[in-house]
Amino acid sequence: MTPRLQGRVIVVTGATKGIGRETARLLAREGAKVACTGRDCSDGAAVVAEIAGEGGQTIFVPHDISRESDWRRVIERTEAELGPVRGVVNNAGAFFIKPLAETTEADFQGIFDTNVLGAFLGVKFGFEAIARAASPGSIVMVSSLMGQVGFPGATAYCATKGAVTGLTKTAAIEGAAMRPPIRVNSLHPGVIWTPMITGQFGDDPALSDAFAADTPLRIIGLPSYMADAILFLLSDESAHVTGIELTVDGGRGAD
Amino acid sequence: MDDAAISPPRGVIVGGGADLCEAVRGALAGEGVGMAGNLDEAPKLNILVVIAVDASTSFAGTPVETFSAGLGAELRNAFLALKQGVAAIRAKGSGGSVVFVAPPSAGQRSFDALRQGLRLLTKAAALELGPESIRVNIVLPCDAENPLGRICTAADIAAGVAFAASDRSRFMTGADVVIDGGRMAQ
Repeated sequence: MTPRLQGRVIVVTGATKGIGRETARLLAREGAKVACTGRDCSDGAAVVAEIAGEGGQTIFVPHDISRESDWRRVIERTEAELGPVRGVVNNAGAFFIKPLAETTEADFQGIFDTNVLGAFLGVKFGFEAIARAASPGSIVMVSSLMGQVGFPGATAYCATKGAVTGLTKTAAIEGAAMRPPIRVNSLHPGVIWTPMITGQFGDDPALSDAFAADTPLRIIGLPSYMADAILFLLSDESAHVTGIELTVDGGRGAD
Repeated sequence: MDDAAISPPRGVIVGGGADLCEAVRGALAGEGVGMAGNLDEAPKLNILVVIAVDASTSFAGTPVETFSAGLGAELRNAFLALKQGVAAIRAKGSGGSVVFVAPPSAGQRSFDALRQGLRLLTKAAALELGPESIRVNIVLPCDAENPLGRICTAADIAAGVAFAASDRSRFMTGADVVIDGGRMAQ
């Protein structure tokens, strides 16, 4: 079968861990040239080695997604070393659990800068870069089931992911008007067993079992499941898909 | 696990016009799915695709008999296909995926009731069947005017069906796969 992303340059933020790392690996296996970005340079070197070991072409660029200057550098290096950009996976984000009453203004601003400002800059710089490529593009925003439904103790986090959901739809409409067009969709993962979750709640297997028991499909989400969905949204298989919320959550949100 | 559980996935399409069925069959073949001709020929199954028929028209111009027949018959067909299909998926014993395909609703709104009926049937079935590793999702195409300024093709719908049917979406159930060129984002 022809690789679904043969030769396309894709930027994946937060590619050093979890969903981003698995996504970068899958996209490379599907023929993409992947610019992996993130804050952790040693993990970045590891993911680059991993992808190169599987025969993929990739670079790592250090990246704080909430800084415009970092985005400028990420795009410049990607274009110079891999070629014109065809897609961006705005995956990087932070988790934040704290009761509403204890959440400070600084807490809220901090999580908003990462999850919303970072996602906004990802679309803005993604649009500019893909327009320069003069080919159709696709941007995937990794939101959350918590951008669609509420979750106790996660007011600030849910607010940021809800913001990404709305940002996606407007960007989709503006991207559709561009020629060539750029598609923009949001992915809404349920509980995925990644450092983001284990960093908050610990990595006790009993916890993973409890999450699975509380999910209609009775399994815990894995990063590779999200990578498959992101690949669908990036590839031409979804050529008529834009502005949608794709929920991949084991059925939690169906209730 | 018996032999059936490790044999190639087997699928069936219920309903739908010739062009869409052909496109879906082709897309599923690309996923390695062997197709049965109809549900009665498929006592053991992994993948069930149910394509609802569009009978949409305006509210004012629709006699109540047409509305009842369209909505009632299509939901009934979907329900019956689901029951028979799930029995065949259980018989094969290796889990499965049910994909409903709503009618495209080309700007005619009276049959949005059918789309939403199928959507909630999907979610209810997903919740009930999830513990048996049977996933249920719905593809919601729309061929009306849209921001992408592009026609929704049978291939576009088939690609969404193939994604929802295959293991590539193994953690997705009860979900909407909207294929509308951005129409609903507006």
